[in-house]
Amino acid sequence: MTPIVFELFANLERLAGAKECRLDAVDDVATIGDALALLARERPELAGSLDRCACVSGDAIVRRADAVPSDGRIALLPPVAGG
Amino acid sequence: MTHEVLSHDPVAVEPLLELDAHPECGGLALFVGTVRDHHEGRAVRHLKYTAHEPLAAKIIREVEHVTRERYGVPYIRIVHRLGDLAIGDIAIVCVVRAPHRAEAFDACRYAVDAVKHGAPIWKEEFYTDGSSAFVEGCCIRDDLEEDAPAVHRHHSHTSHG
Repeated sequence: MTPIVFELFANLERLAGAKECRLDAVDDVATIGDALALLARERPELAGSLDRCACVSGDAIVRRADAVPSDGRIALLPPVAGG
Repeated sequence: MTHEVLSHDPVAVEPLLELDAHPECGGLALFVGTVRDHHEGRAVRHLKYTAHEPLAAKIIREVEHVTRERYGVPYIRIVHRLGDLAIGDIAIVCVVRAPHRAEAFDACRYAVDAVKHGAPIWKEEFYTDGSSAFVEGCCIRDDLEEDAPAVHRHHSHTSHG
């Protein structure tokens, strides 16, 4: 199965020390929610920040119940503070 | 015609005003947000805005569209700055032209609030003590109530005006 690559922004990027986080063992992962649960297990330093993140594929917000995008890329957007 | 809504370069206000282009409009409301030298009691030296640019641009364009429709205003321009900013630099500009002042003021306020609460843009503040932090903001998940307590959604917005 295609690996899942999480793109990290703002404080998530800082917590992970990287702009991306890749998951390779994704056989049981069907939905965005599954992918996030796996990410939380693999990267516990990010686990506490995931509930308040929006997930984005391309330029669209996707939901926890949606299937993982075919390209395997999910952007994780923490709470926003522009302006 | 599409125009720039995110700018990595300093934003000039004057070209956004279109003062001569809307003879039916007697009102122009303008909001300019600039970088403040303090936040919640801490002295801020400078800051950095980053964004998920494809979604941020899409959401800002949607805010412009919704504002035009909701308030019946013929012209609105929003530009948000990205990158490294100094104290006093322009962070966001919103210009609304309208026939009368009431809808100009209302539309401008609505649009700025909608961008601040919905566009994926993050503010990293750098303090005079050498530390830095991302400003706590608004969660933009739209499925939060389906699988998690809604407590986070209803927080106060007073700390990040």
